[in-house]
Amino acid sequence: MANQLLEVNGIDVSYGDVQALWDVSIKVEEGTIVALVGANGAGKTTLLKTISGLNYAKKGEIIFSGEPLKNLKPQNIVDRGIMHVPEGRRLFANLTVLENLRLGAYIPRARGSFAESLERAFTLFPVLQNRKSQKAGSLSGGEQQMLAIARALMSKPKLLMLDEPSLGLSPIFVRTIFELIGTLNEQKATILLVEQNINQALRIAHQAYVLKTGKIVMSGAGSELLENEEVRQAYIGERVRKRQR
Amino acid sequence: MIDKILSYITDKRHLNIYFTLLGVLIFGIIPLFTDVESSYFIYFLFLTFINIVIAQGWNLVAGYAGQISLGQNAFFGLGAYTTALIWLHDITKTGYYFDPVVMVLSGLVPVVLAIIIGIPLLSRLRGDYFAFGTLGVGQIIIVVFLKARHITGGADGLHIPSTVYESMMPYYYTGLLLVLFAIAMVYFITRSRIGLALRAIREDEMSAASHGVFILKYKVFAFAGGAFLAGIGGSLYAYYLFHINPDSVLNMNWLFYPILMCVLGGTGTIMGPVIGALFMTALFSFGDIYFAQTHPIISGVLIILVMKFMPNGIIGLKDKIFSRG
Amino acid sequence: MSFKLIVQILVNGVLFGTTYGIAAIGLSLIFGTMRIIFLAQGAFIIFFAYISYWLLTLLGIDPYLSLVIVIPASLLLGSAFYYGVFKEAAAIEDKNISLLLAVGLMYLVENVMLVAWSPDPRSVVTPYTNLVFRPLGIVVPFTRLTALFIAVLAAVGVFIFLKKTLIGTAVRAASEDMVSTTLMGINPNWVNAVAFAIGIGLAGVAGVTLATIYPFDPSYGFIFAIKALIALALGGIGNVYGALLGGIILGLIESLGSFYIGGGWADAISYGVFLLVLIFRPQGLFGGSIKKA
Repeated sequence: MANQLLEVNGIDVSYGDVQALWDVSIKVEEGTIVALVGANGAGKTTLLKTISGLNYAKKGEIIFSGEPLKNLKPQNIVDRGIMHVPEGRRLFANLTVLENLRLGAYIPRARGSFAESLERAFTLFPVLQNRKSQKAGSLSGGEQQMLAIARALMSKPKLLMLDEPSLGLSPIFVRTIFELIGTLNEQKATILLVEQNINQALRIAHQAYVLKTGKIVMSGAGSELLENEEVRQAYIGERVRKRQR
Repeated sequence: MIDKILSYITDKRHLNIYFTLLGVLIFGIIPLFTDVESSYFIYFLFLTFINIVIAQGWNLVAGYAGQISLGQNAFFGLGAYTTALIWLHDITKTGYYFDPVVMVLSGLVPVVLAIIIGIPLLSRLRGDYFAFGTLGVGQIIIVVFLKARHITGGADGLHIPSTVYESMMPYYYTGLLLVLFAIAMVYFITRSRIGLALRAIREDEMSAASHGVFILKYKVFAFAGGAFLAGIGGSLYAYYLFHINPDSVLNMNWLFYPILMCVLGGTGTIMGPVIGALFMTALFSFGDIYFAQTHPIISGVLIILVMKFMPNGIIGLKDKIFSRG
Repeated sequence: MSFKLIVQILVNGVLFGTTYGIAAIGLSLIFGTMRIIFLAQGAFIIFFAYISYWLLTLLGIDPYLSLVIVIPASLLLGSAFYYGVFKEAAAIEDKNISLLLAVGLMYLVENVMLVAWSPDPRSVVTPYTNLVFRPLGIVVPFTRLTALFIAVLAAVGVFIFLKKTLIGTAVRAASEDMVSTTLMGINPNWVNAVAFAIGIGLAGVAGVTLATIYPFDPSYGFIFAIKALIALALGGIGNVYGALLGGIILGLIESLGSFYIGGGWADAISYGVFLLVLIFRPQGLFGGSIKKA
């Protein structure tokens, strides 16, 4: 029975007077890929930001590796082993690829193994090695996404959170990214994935949650939800064909 | 009908009006009870009145348009110089002072400057950058006034013959009147469509723009309004001081005090600057008597403390204490 | 109008401009991370000028030697002020609060100096104060030349720090995207404090060199702050060498303006240029646009 790496229980999050998350609970088992899907504005990014400490949770609890995590400062949460790759990647455009990676390994426990992590990053993403002295802002969209993920891996996180990794990428790169996520998972990474691209996300996810206007409305195995009528209609846009009379 | 009147009277939002009217009443009758000419209290109140006016000026720009102006001293000085120049050259040929025409003109000259510099600055600059633009303008004005000796008298400035001074009374009441005007101005702007637009701009500029709010117009309006108030404050001060020079009406204090008062009392509120002005003037008067040179230091410490612990000013404090009502 | 005269004017401008330049670098660093223009820097520069003065007058320590004391002291003071005064405000969205804090601090420091040390101008006078070189007939005062060297050294030092050290890289990252930096596990307060400390450290350097060049008094702090700001606006934010160049350009403008138009107008010209740059080229003459990735 695999470990419960992350457990979010009944959290409420508000932006000022506007409530964004209502009693949200999710579980992430170690070594799995968990997908968070839902329409724009449903609260997926808000949830990730709450876990990584960028948002404040009024109620509920967040437990990571058995320790409470809620409302800790973001830098402490990174130290505990959660890396958040934000929506839009947010690389340091004026810094080089190498410098970005270096900053990924900033926390003390990752600094010692910098060389080793760098090696691994270049093996997984050879293109980054070619461009290591180039400014991050000069990379293509797909390369930037790879750099963002590589950067996050530099701190050897226990949990990797990816917010819309396929956003704005060409279809080829989208496939590459998802393959990558699969590969990382094969290498024992635990991944919490927020995605608009529901098809792909549900295909690779072991477990998935559907968020709608701040509430979890459905959960289950990725493959199950993929077959689910409601999900297909609402998000994948397929209509159930009426039988021909 | 009675219903309507009653509900109007008991509406909490009209508290401001009540306080103002009450204040005007009280301060209006005080001179009847003291020897106006020799009373330090009257002098103190007079200073407070000027301070309230210039504080409301900064309040309009910072609290309602959300921009920090570091050039209010220029507007204040302009107002003072305008008054002095009109008087000296007998332009309006009225002979007696406190000519409302002169005061209005002294308010309008800064408005002209505010519009001229406001349009380029406000259309392109945000936050810090705008503040520094105003700072730059203020400094240029100081240099110009120092250099234009043949008009402004250079470093020595202009002298209005003080023989016209008869009594403190007109000063006091004119000051009170200006206070009433300043408060009313802020009040009505806030309640008007302009105020609504300003609030929208302050909250979320992009969203306001996309809703068709012509941002620049409103920002310039607020900026000009602030200039007007600073200008008439300067005018009244000129009447009192008789000797206007860059050091007395363009100095950094006139830049800093309006900010301090609003910050103390609460920027973006109607009564905040009034409370702040009262508090600051009292503090300085007290300090002047007992700790002559140190009150600028106290004001610096005060700003830091207020910004750290009660960035919403004294009025904000009330909210904090009585919150969750 | 001799060629020599023009060169002299230019040389004067460059020599003095570097002092503005260092101050501008400090402002740039602080702005990069905390997104406020630290107006009080000018007051601190004058403060350190006074320190240099008192170290000489009371303890006989040469100003250039005093840098050994002033630099660490200013770095410490910078961190102290960050943690004591600016820490909470730095986290707030509304940058006006930090701005007003800086204004309050400026007012405070300047007036404390006024009360403590009187408004009389002070001069740091040493055996070499009047030493002058005359290469090719151009007057180059020793103190100004040394100020130039120190400024360049400081700029290079900061540059190396930013480019080659991990903390420096973190500061650069934070200047670009503070949120992203926190997601790397970096404590934003720590980064802010470092930038702030260096900013004040540079104020220390500027103060000491200023003391050797010009007589100064407390009110000069405000003026210097504005000049540093103008230098920064000219050079563009986010660019160490740009800020230094901005300072030099300002020095040149002042020198030329002073000569051709005279006295007080030179100041007005500087402010005028400032406004023009703000309005028409807010990213400065050398700043580029920052790309987001």
